[in-house]
Amino acid sequence: MRTIHFAGSFEAWRPIARKLLLDQTAPDQITWQAGNDPAADLFASPDVLDEPTQPSVALAIPRKLPELLKYAACYRAPDRWALLYRVLWRVTRGDRSAMLAGDIDGAQLHGRVKSVRREAHHMHAFLRFAERAEDATPRFVAWHEPAHDVLELASGHFHHRMGSVSWLIATPEGAAVCDGTSLSFLSPCPDDLRQLAQGTRDDGEALWRAYYSSTFNPARVNEKVMRGHMPARFWKHLPEGDLIPQLATQARAGQQKLAQTESVGKQAGRQVLIARERAQPVRPLPTSLDECRQCDIWQNATCAVPGAGSSHAQIMLIGEQPGDHEDLAGRPFVGPAGQILDQALASAGLDRAAIFVTNAVKHFKWEPRGGIHGKAATRKHATPKPAEIRACRDWLTKELADIKPLVLVALGRTALASILEVHDPQRIRLADYSGRAFKHDGRWVLTAPHPAAILRNRDEQQRRYFEELCHALTKAAELISTLH
Amino acid sequence: MDLTDKLIVLADAAKYDVSCASSGAPKRSSKGKSGLGADTGMGICHSFTPDGRCVSLLKVLLTNFCIYDCQYCVNRRSSDVPRARFTPEEVAKLTIDFYRKNVISGLFLSSGIIRSSDYTMEQLVRVARLLRNQYEFRGYIHLKTIPDADPQLIAEAGLYADRLSVNIELPTEISLENLAPEKNGQSIRKAMGRIRLGVEESTAETRAPRFAPAGQSTQMIVGADTTDDRTILDTAQRLYGAYGLKRVYYSAFSPIPKSPGTVPLQPPPLMREHRLYQADFLLRGYGFQADELLSSGNLPLDIDPKLAWALNHREQFPMDLNRADAMLIARIPGIGMLNAKRLVQLRRERRIRFNDLVRLRCSMEKVKPFIVTDDYRPQRDQWESHSLRRSLTEQPAQMALW
Repeated sequence: MRTIHFAGSFEAWRPIARKLLLDQTAPDQITWQAGNDPAADLFASPDVLDEPTQPSVALAIPRKLPELLKYAACYRAPDRWALLYRVLWRVTRGDRSAMLAGDIDGAQLHGRVKSVRREAHHMHAFLRFAERAEDATPRFVAWHEPAHDVLELASGHFHHRMGSVSWLIATPEGAAVCDGTSLSFLSPCPDDLRQLAQGTRDDGEALWRAYYSSTFNPARVNEKVMRGHMPARFWKHLPEGDLIPQLATQARAGQQKLAQTESVGKQAGRQVLIARERAQPVRPLPTSLDECRQCDIWQNATCAVPGAGSSHAQIMLIGEQPGDHEDLAGRPFVGPAGQILDQALASAGLDRAAIFVTNAVKHFKWEPRGGIHGKAATRKHATPKPAEIRACRDWLTKELADIKPLVLVALGRTALASILEVHDPQRIRLADYSGRAFKHDGRWVLTAPHPAAILRNRDEQQRRYFEELCHALTKAAELISTLH
Repeated sequence: MDLTDKLIVLADAAKYDVSCASSGAPKRSSKGKSGLGADTGMGICHSFTPDGRCVSLLKVLLTNFCIYDCQYCVNRRSSDVPRARFTPEEVAKLTIDFYRKNVISGLFLSSGIIRSSDYTMEQLVRVARLLRNQYEFRGYIHLKTIPDADPQLIAEAGLYADRLSVNIELPTEISLENLAPEKNGQSIRKAMGRIRLGVEESTAETRAPRFAPAGQSTQMIVGADTTDDRTILDTAQRLYGAYGLKRVYYSAFSPIPKSPGTVPLQPPPLMREHRLYQADFLLRGYGFQADELLSSGNLPLDIDPKLAWALNHREQFPMDLNRADAMLIARIPGIGMLNAKRLVQLRRERRIRFNDLVRLRCSMEKVKPFIVTDDYRPQRDQWESHSLRRSLTEQPAQMALW
């Protein structure tokens, strides 16, 4: 059995632990004696680090372990160093479960790490700075009583937060002092700093107390939750501390069924006098397309997406329906599929501004996909039903009548089904129509794969689809020139 | 009216917006710089009020004068409440003062609609601009966005604010029409769409200025109309999918002084709000779909939504923790995503045993009927769901006397 005396800090413990591991000293052979224990001198043993080391195993530990040990070392418990060494011992001997939360030692280690993190967070949250006179140094002072040794761990946060002003945090064990540029620690805490931190009152506290009382909702008192989050031991140092029981009692006394703060309710109120019509915000009149309720797709969509382009266009491209981006922007083919289309148009020598681009269905139909840990929820394209394609045909008919294009390019089966007024894409095969122009209802019609299908496919198939699209667009341009 | 009186009125008027999150902002520091404020991406709750809610931000209205007449709102034009108005300078200074004392991590500013949507939004943006440019404030700013405001103003707001939010207010278009005659579902959705596009554009280019880096959120009032939970969750799911919202907040309708006849006089059970949050969490983080959680109507109040789902899907249980996929383990009642990951980590080292779950502090009563480990099989595996449910129902608490 060995008694190891050391300064009681993680930095001091680390080389000693390393040495003991190399000597293969088992955890049950060691008693850790930290700090200025008066008994230490009585049983003083020679410094472990001075003893010669016997060459033995190489120490390899997982990258995450030192961090866990460092945090757990801040936990105030008589056996804190013993636990650290036991975990380290087991891990270095190949038992990695010792550092996992499901293990008997690991659970304790993780429990302590959690407590320490929590206590550091408590310091970030519940520490209160009192402001001193403009020319005083330090300008801001705080007294805080942490339950674990977190002062050094948690003080850096305030260095980032406070900018170039000077401040002091005093605790029963030590103090952190910042002059606006550098941060230093004193241990133990000097008496004058302790008195300064404990004795400074701040006039501004009244405003904060007023805010605190007023933001509280007396209709939903839930003290248990509050106490869980903000342990009562912190209350005595909070400017709002004494308000807590007071507000809770008042609310529970039964006068309050409303969320409104009592003192506000007692004040004289007044209505805002304005005519109903004048209060209405000015909005652009909704288009009739926007208000279309011929099918239910609109319910999940942001807005209807009408066709866009030249009103004298001779070529009209018709897609299936707006996609994710189009639905937000209100314009057709602006998302990834739109970029593919632009590439194809460029290769066919067509100018997007000179043609008209639209969709067979004017609202975006989609299904939600739930988010999975860390990944946001998204939406997935859904194919419109024949009835929905039919319901939207009137709008396409209107666009055809307004623009009077000579050539239509159907991008995909849905567009073709709508043009042919078959409405059910299942009933036609794109292959039957592709590669050649045909006349329908007095206009030339060409078919091409939808740009989204190009995006969905890979390699050879993708290249072929893109070529087919370019080919159809080139053909459309040729048709126009021959028609003149 | 002095500053304290204004603060009392305008903090009281702002408490109906429940969000107080200060997380998700990019890392910022004032170390050795002029100005003040830092962000670590983690929110800090600086205090808790006895209602159990966190105080993380200075949450106030710029003014509670409002020309709209939303029936559920205490600040509607026909309401007889004391009115007040801050100047932008007053709000900025209050934020700085509170921030220095370490009582807040930033500002959540909203406002009643005065004059017009554009004018109101312009005032909100002015406060944020003042804080960022003049005071060099690097803490958190959340700005409420007025849906009908000029897109230019929303674009500017996104440059100063960490988070923007447009409130959806009510779960259905029809309720909005009935209870908030000046609001319009489509203009709300369009504003959300614009914010999503703004966020995506700024993240697509590395040199672009950050746009609302902590994303957008919204709030839905529960219990002011007769909409059921299924519809509410469908709406939430739609909002998450379509606009990439970080959060949908559910606010149990709270009766207001001199309540108009169009809204109920009684609040919904707070437990309903709680169950909605739990279900929402499953939608956001666990890959659940709204229709999996409930086919119609309301969520059960006596058991949580995951347990309710498990009881309806007994064919998937008991699940062998030594074999099941992490995503499926996370679907077991009483085991969260974190513990599911820890179990998978642990089983790489050795077989999972019953006591491992105890040490991971899973809620064992809930877990027991649904799992198999090396040394454990559930005794109640053969029980019918309804009797199992009875044994797992949270113990009824005695009703409060008022």
